[in-house]
Amino acid sequence: MEIKLNDPFAAELVKAQTALMQVIDPELYVNVVDLGLVYGVDFTDATKVKVTMTLSTPGCPMGEAITGGVKNALTAAFSDRETEVEVVWEPRWNYHMITDEGKAQLGLE
Amino acid sequence: MVALNIGRAPHRVAVLPFYGTGALFFALLTVLLFVAAGELTGHHFSPHLLAIVHAAALGWGTMIIFGAAYQLLPVICERDLYSVPFAVASYVMLTVGALLLVWSFWVFEVGVLMITGGALVVVAAVLYAINTCATAARQQRVNVQQVFLVSSALWLFITVIIGLLLTINLSHTFIPRNHLDMLKLHAHAGLAGWFLQLITGVSTKLVPMFLLGKSKREWLLYTALVLQNIGLILFLADGYFNPITAKMLIYAGIVALGTLAWLIYLADVYRNRLRRKIEPLMKHTAISFLNLAVGFVLLPVAFYFSDSRWVSLYGTFLFLGWITAIILGTTFKTLPFIVWTSHYRHLTGKVIVPLPKQLYNERLIGYQFYLYLSAFVSLIIGLIADCAPVVRVALILWMILAAVYVANVAKTIFHKPMITDGNKTQ
Repeated sequence: MEIKLNDPFAAELVKAQTALMQVIDPELYVNVVDLGLVYGVDFTDATKVKVTMTLSTPGCPMGEAITGGVKNALTAAFSDRETEVEVVWEPRWNYHMITDEGKAQLGLE
Repeated sequence: MVALNIGRAPHRVAVLPFYGTGALFFALLTVLLFVAAGELTGHHFSPHLLAIVHAAALGWGTMIIFGAAYQLLPVICERDLYSVPFAVASYVMLTVGALLLVWSFWVFEVGVLMITGGALVVVAAVLYAINTCATAARQQRVNVQQVFLVSSALWLFITVIIGLLLTINLSHTFIPRNHLDMLKLHAHAGLAGWFLQLITGVSTKLVPMFLLGKSKREWLLYTALVLQNIGLILFLADGYFNPITAKMLIYAGIVALGTLAWLIYLADVYRNRLRRKIEPLMKHTAISFLNLAVGFVLLPVAFYFSDSRWVSLYGTFLFLGWITAIILGTTFKTLPFIVWTSHYRHLTGKVIVPLPKQLYNERLIGYQFYLYLSAFVSLIIGLIADCAPVVRVALILWMILAAVYVANVAKTIFHKPMITDGNKTQ
């Protein structure tokens, strides 16, 4: 999840990222941002916060918990907006999407 | 919120009873082994050994595998489980059927009770097969793991049908073949068809997930699928019409090659893993594969040497070495997640909730690993040396191991939902 300083919604994106970092993948014990599961957060609709994200695998048994966690976290952070979560399978998630911080938390090389 | 299927974990009622009952059957199995300690190196067609093998194969192995499969089918097929009521019904049928079979073999009461037990297990296998096939059929993109799941379900059905016919044959002889030869066909349809193919399919999905590894050599899995099935079909077809001779070892060799292809695939995943640290639970799994390999080596030994001790050793490596080790290794990689999901999936992101690994006692996992190693190795030494005191000490270790395992399974299943401030959740 990349945030550009000149983005008109940079402040909201930082707030969203902070909230999403509280959502942990219960299988890997790493937050969804550092796992690279969050592809984007959109604030262009003033009444909504729309998240585009993926899961490590379709049919992931933790999928409902993870997407529910994302919705809960963003609803708490942006109580004046409705949260929408869209799960996509393209691009397919892979291990290279994990951030360096996520890799460190996983004890990867 | 989410339009695409994201795979909801099945309701816990479709999974938890299998784990709880399977753990109790494991405890029962170790007690039965201890009571029959003096008979373990005797001929395998004895009431107590038949009861023990069915407690291991149905009450322990199949019970846990049913629960794990209902949990993992949505992961492998990328769809929700076809039917939770079917899963629950299969649990009732399998539990009652396994109890009736174990009891009627133990007291060797052939007739209605034994046949009823066999029939209930057949119904359980049919319900499981329908659930597996229907869940897999709802997915357009078929992967090799799904094919393994379906083929293993069909082999389970064939195995239990043969088993049912054998229980009928004990009281009303009608099979025109030697009962002991038919027993070998029944046993190996279960081992090489049901257990081997299911474990092959599930492990090639789970091990890469746990190790964060991958292999591009998927052709090895198709090779495994073809060889394991061809070897088994040839064995059953030839074994039904002809006496069991050394020729059958060729078919075992074909299945062994199929198994080797699967293990090479897993070794490739292991080499290409991101996670360097291997947990005790994964070590259990690695040991189980080693025991399976030893089982294949022991097959010709058991065939050529008339001493029944080698047959006992062969069975021990497969049931207590291979199947038990893999169950001990994977239980706490699967069970806590279904409990966690049922308690906490709606709370994530709202409050800080415990992690799945905090639902069981991690310290006990370490004890479990070393208890298993010492129990298994001492039992093998006792059986090879035909030394009753060593066998008894080993079986005491097995009972302690079962107690540790049951305690940890119970802790997980009966976990009380908690959040970090100590308040109980709704």
